[in-house]
Amino acid sequence: MGELLLFYLIAALMVAAALSVVGSRLPIYSVLSLLVVMGCQAVFFVMLHAYFVAAIQLLLYAGAVLVLFLFVIMLLQLSPEAVAYPRLLSRPAIGITAAFGLFLILRTVFFRSLAQEPPLADLSRPHSTVEAIAHALMTKYLLPFELTSLLILAALIGAVTLAKQQASDSRLKR
Amino acid sequence: MTWKLIGVEFVVSVWTIVTLGADILNLPRRNRLWLLALAGLSLAAIVLALQPPESLGESFQDMFVVDGFGRYFKGLFLVIAAVVIVMTREFEDRLSAPLGAFYMLLFTALLGMLIVASVNDLLLLFVGLELITFSLYIMTAYLKTDPRSVEAGMKYLIIGSIASGFLIYGVALLYGFSGSTHFPSLHKAIVSGVIPLSAQAGFFFVLAGLGFKIAAVPFHLWVPDVYEGAPTPVVAFLSVGSKMAGIIALVRILYGVFLPLHGLWMDTLAILSAATMLYGNLAAIVQTNIKRLLGYSSIGHAGYLLMALSSGSSLGVSAVGYYLLAYLVSNLTVFLVIVAASKTIGGDHLEAYNGLSKRSPALAGALFLGLLSLAGVPPLAGFSGKLLILLAGAQAGQLWLVTIGALNVALSLYYYLMIVKRMYLGTPINPSVIRVHPVTHTTLILLVLGIFVLGIFQNPFLQQIQSAIENQQWTRPQFPNAEPP
Repeated sequence: MGELLLFYLIAALMVAAALSVVGSRLPIYSVLSLLVVMGCQAVFFVMLHAYFVAAIQLLLYAGAVLVLFLFVIMLLQLSPEAVAYPRLLSRPAIGITAAFGLFLILRTVFFRSLAQEPPLADLSRPHSTVEAIAHALMTKYLLPFELTSLLILAALIGAVTLAKQQASDSRLKR
Repeated sequence: MTWKLIGVEFVVSVWTIVTLGADILNLPRRNRLWLLALAGLSLAAIVLALQPPESLGESFQDMFVVDGFGRYFKGLFLVIAAVVIVMTREFEDRLSAPLGAFYMLLFTALLGMLIVASVNDLLLLFVGLELITFSLYIMTAYLKTDPRSVEAGMKYLIIGSIASGFLIYGVALLYGFSGSTHFPSLHKAIVSGVIPLSAQAGFFFVLAGLGFKIAAVPFHLWVPDVYEGAPTPVVAFLSVGSKMAGIIALVRILYGVFLPLHGLWMDTLAILSAATMLYGNLAAIVQTNIKRLLGYSSIGHAGYLLMALSSGSSLGVSAVGYYLLAYLVSNLTVFLVIVAASKTIGGDHLEAYNGLSKRSPALAGALFLGLLSLAGVPPLAGFSGKLLILLAGAQAGQLWLVTIGALNVALSLYYYLMIVKRMYLGTPINPSVIRVHPVTHTTLILLVLGIFVLGIFQNPFLQQIQSAIENQQWTRPQFPNAEPP
């Protein structure tokens, strides 16, 4: 019962924070709201006994990715008027209708599916999750795991290549 | 055993590092780097050819399956990459950013395509597709000083990320349904019980994610701008390689896993196919930029491929195999001519092609044949591909779709012939002769030869394709009677 109450509380907070991400006038508020969303998500992971994923969620998303967002926004120094609102206001009806429609579809999908009681995946392994994840990564999912490293390498090299100033560019600027 | 199975992928992934390292160390000079890249492809081709047929099988907990179907497409992917490298050689003085990184990204994209050709698991499929699109995002924006290229890269990245989001959401829903991302287990779960709505939604999300890769109609918005702005070799790679990978994934999912539910997707695909063909070919008519025009025409071709897939028969799958081969030779011919000509004629505007036949009869002739083959004119490759697809559609009883397909042949012929008219009847603005490098020339001759051979002798290729798909489990039960819930 207490767990259910906690779930609804956190879920309500998460939805409110998510609304604030898309709705707030200052981008910095959007990022901070996103931080709240990520935190709530971490709580959900804890409630599902996925402690490792919860820790990763906090460390990577809240810790690294959002800090990066903050840096970018601070470096860009956008004025509040220049962001978000003009585009949001020009087509709000379409966007809100589409989002609400998608929500309705997903709601129907999930409630109907729950009524049918599908064979759910086995989630009841509350043991050491780090060990389980490591085991899965190194045995069953070895190939995707190794390929992901190449994917990250490609993204890394690509980012450096695109961001690097060329010799001719920098000469022009000086 | 396992090493034999992933030999081709192993060579390609090693070569990503080799090309990058060679460029940093400046070992071959910048204008010799393409030879190193081609050497890697030849090595991969040798490994692919040496894979003995008895070594076929599955590895990595059945995630990765090597069969005739996958090997056929792996061969085609290596050919595509080789032609793209020849194009890059022609284009390299216009690529200001480091060339080694460009070849490296070409190899990571190729690796993704090879993985997708052998995929037997949704998770591996996702990683493979991401390898392709990540590399292509960066390659699209490689002309850093050209704002159109940067814009194209940005648009491709944003729309592509949304598509990936759909795909992974669908994968998650399907995993929640069956408890596994593995194709055979998923198939078992579908055959055995009631399929909840969430699994159906997951299936359609996966379909939407793949629809982006092949540029089918509701997911086509990125195509025109990306085709116009990206470097031409990248466009060629994107339009042939990425589309082929998406189609293979669709075949493996629709026919390998979801065939019992064919009532669920046949009509959807048929409607998408009709919309895709009509949209692509109608919008192509008014274009004034040749790359943009080819972008719309590639949407049209995605429509034909969807028509073959929607037939739900093994004839449809062979038609897809043949059509992709024909599309490969014709489209690569067209793009190679564009790469070779664009520097001298200055730009990709259609007016620049006025009187091309007087400036370079060879280029104009190759472009003429490539375009006619894309349209589907009888003695050429594209005709046989279109005929097979229309036959598959007629066999499945979708006569309305076949009628729309035939109508689109006429539509596409109109705008392809407009380019031909410019080349042969227009007067050139600048009558100087265009020089073509021998390497480009040889490749063009080979591709044009391929167009003719594929158009005249269909049987050997068709038999090859049919024997490749013969052993798939989907060809045995032709139309299972299971009805969707």
